[in-house]
Amino acid sequence: MKQTLAIVGAGLAGRMLAIRLADDGWDVTLFDQGERDGLESCSYTGAGMLAPQSELDRADPHIAELGDRSIALWPSVLTRLPRPVDLVMDGTVLVAHSTDEPDLERMARRILDRSPSPERIRRLSAAELGDLEPDLATRFQHGWFIEREGHIDNRQLLEALEAGITHRSITWHTTHPCPSIRPHHVDTDHPHYDWVIDCRGLGAQGDLPDLRGVRGELLHLHAPEVSLRHPIRLTHPRYPLYVVPRTDNLFVIGATEIESDDRGPITVRSALELLTAAYSLHSGFAEAHIVEARADCRPAFPDNLPRVTCEPGLVRINGLYRHGFLLAPLLLETVCQTLAKSEAVSLLETNTLLETTRT
Amino acid sequence: MWTLADKTLNSRILLGTALYPSPRIMSDSIQACACDVVTVSLRRQSPLDKAGARYWALIQALNVHVLPNTAGCRTAKEAVTTAKMARDLFATDWIKLEVIADDYTLAPDPVGLVQAAAELNRDGFTVLPYTTADLDVARQLVDVGCQVVMPWASMIGSGQGLVERDRLLRMRETITDATLIVDAGLGKPSDAAQAMELGFDAVLLNSAVALADDPPSMAKAFAQAVEAGRLGFEAGLMVPRDLASPSTPTIGTPFWQQETRQP
Repeated sequence: MKQTLAIVGAGLAGRMLAIRLADDGWDVTLFDQGERDGLESCSYTGAGMLAPQSELDRADPHIAELGDRSIALWPSVLTRLPRPVDLVMDGTVLVAHSTDEPDLERMARRILDRSPSPERIRRLSAAELGDLEPDLATRFQHGWFIEREGHIDNRQLLEALEAGITHRSITWHTTHPCPSIRPHHVDTDHPHYDWVIDCRGLGAQGDLPDLRGVRGELLHLHAPEVSLRHPIRLTHPRYPLYVVPRTDNLFVIGATEIESDDRGPITVRSALELLTAAYSLHSGFAEAHIVEARADCRPAFPDNLPRVTCEPGLVRINGLYRHGFLLAPLLLETVCQTLAKSEAVSLLETNTLLETTRT
Repeated sequence: MWTLADKTLNSRILLGTALYPSPRIMSDSIQACACDVVTVSLRRQSPLDKAGARYWALIQALNVHVLPNTAGCRTAKEAVTTAKMARDLFATDWIKLEVIADDYTLAPDPVGLVQAAAELNRDGFTVLPYTTADLDVARQLVDVGCQVVMPWASMIGSGQGLVERDRLLRMRETITDATLIVDAGLGKPSDAAQAMELGFDAVLLNSAVALADDPPSMAKAFAQAVEAGRLGFEAGLMVPRDLASPSTPTIGTPFWQQETRQP
């Protein structure tokens, strides 16, 4: 008989695990507080950035190393899905307005200092910037370029994962919140499972007292006059600001970073900041349509690093903060390997994760 | 030990809580410089509002005095309203008063600042106003009841250090009846030491620590610089003079050494 496994939380991590573990031969049941559209999951709001080096400006250097190895796993994850998902890895362009130049240089220097692969980072002259992004050449005299970074279309991905789950006839209990879970049990209505996997994100706050939300807000713009090929990072005094090009002249502008669990709609201040940033990058955004404004909260622990914990009958994955799409493939691979060996590891800290995934 | 308004403090550093890579690193930095007062922004961190509760709990666990600010306020009226909300939310009548004239440089608006300070002082607040290095504005702030005045050293977040050194010195020499804290613009530990050598009572920092490669170490470096600067000030700094004066009598020095000393 197959071993049974309940996954609680059908965001990015829950969906990816459901497919992978079903393929590994587990009898998987999925629980989620929301619908299959994924609107309740913060992955639906995220921009799908895969930028391990750019993140080094503020992130722990472990993130870059784990991120690089994790990105390499995305293609094999996508081959399991019945629909195509846009995964673009053409690099990131960093620019700053003239008054913010010192911030850009400081950021680039710090990224270079901390990077495990500084050879992938280079300064761009005006001409080189013009070759990469012709539209930016008139406004910016130079920039920086980071190779092998990119983005994944998060919504296509959530939809493709849903299709993959349907295709595998995995039981999925929608609008079924599980506020408190324990080893082998999701709630009193359901039987004993061999394993319960906690992928609830902020939904796990009741069980994890040091888990907090970090609010992020972003905008989707349709801008026929703008042609940008790479994710553009613009220096901002308070948070990393990206303009991410999707297909058909759609652009995602984000994301703010505010210490708050508030999931309410975008504020006027944030919308002004994001729109000004977009317009200052490219005047073609003036005539863009604001297709959507979204806000949600990233789950984070006090060190802003992910945490995977494991005790008999219960695995928890949480605190992916702003690195969900970046780190999910590697963290989930680790979980699958742990389950396959069926050995309970008490706590996988980031350091241990690095060690574990190296072997 | 020194006194800031009604509180006795050990550290002469006040530390901001924004821009750290993580709350953990923020906590470590606060502990590394052993500061007694941290500033928090009401508009982005509201403790009673369920939204920021977990983040607020992290700050409370540090057991430091909280100095709420009115960051982002553009008018005296906005700042007064925000200060009153902060008093209720953080249960303190201390307020770091900011009335901003310009969103990009975050330069203070002196007129609105004095207005708001007067009103809040009447209302029983302990007002710590963030101002420029302008002496007249500082004087007016004291005249409307501020026991503490916090001039900038240079533009906030610029890390340019004591661009306004001469005006700050003049302010310190003139205003002896109020606590003076350098708020904003400090980039290096030596900037903080200089501010303390001028006789300022304390410094307020944020970006210089939070954006450092290693924020806790930078916090510690600033703590040592502030201590050195203060001790230097209290010990009585030597007055610089134009000519070198040998500290060893030249009389016993062999002539060939005296020769080489000639230009």
